[in-house]
Amino acid sequence: MKTVRLKRKDIKNPYLPVEAEKITTETFLNNDISEIRIWSGNQEKILEDLFTVDTEGEADTAEDVHIILSGDCSKVKRVGEYMTAGRITVEGDIGMHCGNFMSGGLIEIKGNADSWLGREMRGGEIICRGNAALYCGSGYRGEKKGMRGGLIHIEGDAGDFLGETLWGGKIIVDGNAGNMPGAEMQGGEIIIGKDAEIPGANMKDGVCIICGTAFDILPTFMLEDGKKNIDDFKTGFFEFSGDHANRKPKGRIYAKDYRIHQ
Amino acid sequence: MKITDVICPFCGCLCDDLTVTIENNRVTGVDNGCALAEAKFMHTGRLNNPIIKDGDRFRETGYDDAIGAAADILKDSERPLLFGWSGTQGEAQCSGVHLCELLGGVIDNTSSICHGPSILAIQEVGHPGCTLGQVKNRADLIIYWGCNPVEGHPRHMSRYTNYADGFFLENAFRERKLIVADVRKTESANLADEFIQIKPGGDYAVFSALRAIIRGKGDILPDYVAGVAKSQLERVAKMCLEAKFGAIFFGLGLTMTKNKYKNIRNAIELTDLLCRHTKFTITPMRGHWNVYGSNEVMTWLTGYPYGVDFSRGIAFYNPGETTAIDILAKKECDAMFVVASDPAAHMPKKCAEHMAEIPVIQIDPHINCTTLLSDVQLPVAVTGIETPGTAYRMDGIPLRTKKVIETVYPNDTEIIDKIYKKVLEVQKK
Amino acid sequence: MSELLVKNAFVIDPLNNINGEIMDIAVKDGKIVESVKDTSNTIDAKGNLTLPGGVDSHTHICGTKVNFGRYMSPEDMRAGRGRAQKYMYPVSGYSVPTVYANTYRYSSLGYTTVLEGAMAPLEARHTHEEFSYNTLQDTMANTLFDGNWAVMEAVAENDLKKVAAIVGWTLAAVKGFAVKITNPGGTEMWGWGKDVGCMHTKVDHFGVTAAEITDYLIRANELLNLPHSAHLHNNNLGKPGNYKCTLERMQRTPDLNDKRQTLYMTHVQFHSYGGSKWADFCSKADDVAWMINRKPQIAIDMGQVMFGKTTTMTADGPMEFNLYRLYNNKWSNHDVELETGSGIIPVLYSKKNLVNSIMWSIGLELALMTKNPWQCMLATDNPNGAPFVKYPEVIALLMSSKYRDEEFSTLQKDTEKRVILPSLDREMDWNEIAIMTRAAQAKALGIVDLGKGHLGVGADADIAIYPVKTGDIDPTQEYEKVIEGLSVTTHTIKRGRTVSKDGNCLVFGDNATIWVKPKISENYDISKDPEFIKRFERYYTVNMANYPVEEEYINRNICIETETEL
Repeated sequence: MKTVRLKRKDIKNPYLPVEAEKITTETFLNNDISEIRIWSGNQEKILEDLFTVDTEGEADTAEDVHIILSGDCSKVKRVGEYMTAGRITVEGDIGMHCGNFMSGGLIEIKGNADSWLGREMRGGEIICRGNAALYCGSGYRGEKKGMRGGLIHIEGDAGDFLGETLWGGKIIVDGNAGNMPGAEMQGGEIIIGKDAEIPGANMKDGVCIICGTAFDILPTFMLEDGKKNIDDFKTGFFEFSGDHANRKPKGRIYAKDYRIHQ
Repeated sequence: MKITDVICPFCGCLCDDLTVTIENNRVTGVDNGCALAEAKFMHTGRLNNPIIKDGDRFRETGYDDAIGAAADILKDSERPLLFGWSGTQGEAQCSGVHLCELLGGVIDNTSSICHGPSILAIQEVGHPGCTLGQVKNRADLIIYWGCNPVEGHPRHMSRYTNYADGFFLENAFRERKLIVADVRKTESANLADEFIQIKPGGDYAVFSALRAIIRGKGDILPDYVAGVAKSQLERVAKMCLEAKFGAIFFGLGLTMTKNKYKNIRNAIELTDLLCRHTKFTITPMRGHWNVYGSNEVMTWLTGYPYGVDFSRGIAFYNPGETTAIDILAKKECDAMFVVASDPAAHMPKKCAEHMAEIPVIQIDPHINCTTLLSDVQLPVAVTGIETPGTAYRMDGIPLRTKKVIETVYPNDTEIIDKIYKKVLEVQKK
Repeated sequence: MSELLVKNAFVIDPLNNINGEIMDIAVKDGKIVESVKDTSNTIDAKGNLTLPGGVDSHTHICGTKVNFGRYMSPEDMRAGRGRAQKYMYPVSGYSVPTVYANTYRYSSLGYTTVLEGAMAPLEARHTHEEFSYNTLQDTMANTLFDGNWAVMEAVAENDLKKVAAIVGWTLAAVKGFAVKITNPGGTEMWGWGKDVGCMHTKVDHFGVTAAEITDYLIRANELLNLPHSAHLHNNNLGKPGNYKCTLERMQRTPDLNDKRQTLYMTHVQFHSYGGSKWADFCSKADDVAWMINRKPQIAIDMGQVMFGKTTTMTADGPMEFNLYRLYNNKWSNHDVELETGSGIIPVLYSKKNLVNSIMWSIGLELALMTKNPWQCMLATDNPNGAPFVKYPEVIALLMSSKYRDEEFSTLQKDTEKRVILPSLDREMDWNEIAIMTRAAQAKALGIVDLGKGHLGVGADADIAIYPVKTGDIDPTQEYEKVIEGLSVTTHTIKRGRTVSKDGNCLVFGDNATIWVKPKISENYDISKDPEFIKRFERYYTVNMANYPVEEEYINRNICIETETEL
């Protein structure tokens, strides 16, 4: 087990974004950290310019690497990009694009996550104890397929466009989701603990479960008869099929309570 | 002296049939133009000389001094933001892109506060469009959605839609129907055969409903959608299906209201669906006379139409992250370069507050709100009046705007090129 | 440095009948000369394969619809990004690269002259703006006339000279190079969401047929004495059974020119389909090639499809819409008033798909069965069939039956029942490849006299040196070496300057745009014709005075003036 502790050094300009796609488990397999590049605005730096690095232990595979980030990392972007195995723990908040293209391993964020958390994820697990901003578990502009696999669990609230273009995998939000969660989804599952607005807009397939109130359900969703029980959940969910603006949609919304779009 | 076939550098209509009267090197009359054109051509106030902020005052200075000051600010910037671009010539936009690449900064144009959402939607589902002459000659159904051309694009209806001559329409005005959709009854709505009044934020639901009706699934809809009666929606759907050529035009009523780019996406998907039954096109009502040009230029040079981040030496595009409002609101940029736009006047307070804290360089002929927040401003010739340059109309047609009066001022391209060279020079040291 | 000596070049120069000779090439002031005095500037080609700079006779790289393709596809843009180098700006784009990306990649492949496949006259300014950034190749534009109202009305009046007058004026006004016809009549019908079925359907309102429009434009082209022939993207592209249209079009075409073809039919692979629906879709390349072999007045390019993602973009609006209905991805459309149309959709050509596998086979069949390589040029209709960076793979397939067999065995299993490719043994040699990628194009485009496509004295010093020693490679077996060797030149020389070396561009470049200006007498000056003027006043949305492209848009340019019969 190799543990890499990265503590953010004193920052001159706390608002300047940092791009740290190299902060991922694979990078730390060898011991030479002087070559690890990181970017602050348009300046190329080495990791140690921005972080104090403290390593302990050995690892032969990414699986055995555990990175712990502390200090103010709210502007540090692309951490865990393309990660295949291992663990990353963020003690506080994390910047945009955390866990981009991830296919394995575990990222735990104890604070809040900025937008595009787990973008285009293929596998692995992300757990965010705080809130996630916009486009959590979504795709990239112009691509039809967004997240394809893996699990994202947000204990707080999520912002707008949660799981946009979702194709596979699962996103769980314990709190509220914002506007249009699951827009354009064609697969996968979204489970929202509390409320959401305009869920599943234009969906063709996939499942969106809202355990609170689903506000502004679009007029092109059809309410199915009776109440449904869903797996491990409590009973009594309304079921909607849609989005019938599409040709032959197979999407489903399950809501504990709902309001139709007025 | 009269100059004909003059192109108006004001709105996205880019009317090219103006005749301007010149006396003593001043425009004294504008024929065929609308009130906006007259105001632009005949305006006389301007910033006379470059200015540099000195304490809490501005001092006038020469171009070389101002260029040097600009280069000094930009050369050490770790995240410069180059913003504006829609009110200047294409040649300057190209220079701007190269400057941004050199600086490793972010370049964004006013699309991000206007039709950026339209572009996002186009990137998801494409753009079934056409040039305005196709609409003029063929369209028997015109739909204005979330826009008010009578006030925003005054000659749009007479040059391109309802009141224009049409090759295939005998009695164009009578043969065309007009539908206007908006949250309130505007001047344009007063002219409509069918006015759809939608509850604010309800456009998305209305588009979805129309798509369902056209797919024959109207039965699942409730009696009212966002305040619009289902019977009206069915009537509108019927008008669309019976049209020989329908043209939809939309504006900020869709791009800047709830659900933003998803509204446009839905409108485009509706257009696609209608194309399977008849001929339909959709066109965004671009605001500035050359904002589409800035999209075109940025695309052929960088690959992306706006919001491009070169800090890694490679183009990265992500609206919401690489766009001006977000960067300013999050206080990310440490310097700003504004060309041909007035962000201090148009952007949210938080953005202007950050602009006040960072060095700002402005290239603009006029004194505007942004001037108050600038550290350096260089006045330039007005494109389309004092200097020629390329512009792209709202439908993508490129035209060359003219020079109708003489000027002593350099144009945007010259100044930006000089700043580029100066930055190269000071970077080497 | 106005003098350059390229030593020890293994030259294949088909236009000068040089088929593999070691020689020196002397260059002075951008042209090839007999010899130079100053040998301080020397490139040792070390016996490597040296060809005239590549000439691409049909590629979509600059203009309105290409740019549409770019900005609607940020996912394609991000797939092809690259960093700035000393003389190279950052690049983006995989199948629809930015202008800089295109020019650098073409230069690495050894190309020095390219023809933009389609430019609408009304939007020509846009194409020329982009051309000015395509700095490492000379550029020319095919100008669209297929849906041109003035032309259709003149055809309806059976007035050939008027057609020529309109074409002549328009080409000169918008600085175009050649007459392009895309789905004639169809693009006008698409203004109403319709198409023409075949060549003999009358276009609504105008009452002329596709066959007539093309017949007249072919003849008008010759009346104007243009360097290139009429350039046709035939009707019914992509439809099963369309080979009949192709054959008929070839049958109908007279032989009017003794220096080159009378009709250039482009991306003929897409027009060589048999069957009547997708279920019985098959190749009819053999019939098409049979016809080409009997018609020296016809020249074609392959339009080869290669597997993978790409973006289709053509002026053929209705075809693109139908393709969209098959793919259901995203679709853009842009009809140009009084002139033409366009459509753009991203596609994926897959080996698992029977139709795609057949399409891949057809392009190769056409090239292998056309006896005369001068009549069948190599192209992928970039990017419609595949991005041009795949040209080396296409070349390797043409040179190696073994490579073809290996690829074929990975295709959808029913392909062999629908095509004859496995039975074709022909393997092209280096000379034929040189013909198909530069010499034939230069001849077909009529720019040999300008100095393109060959390395004789007086030619432009556009030279491509590839890291290939033909004596050391057996292209029939070692196809991987062919691909590798042809993918990046050791040197690409343009007008006597080395612009690219091992894939790195060394200068910012300074291209030229080639355009035509037919000399037309006062009597035939269409810009004075009241009907023509009226069309601008009433139906176009741009004034006639603002229509022609100003000189400012083409800095360095080569204007070919032609003596016409008008």
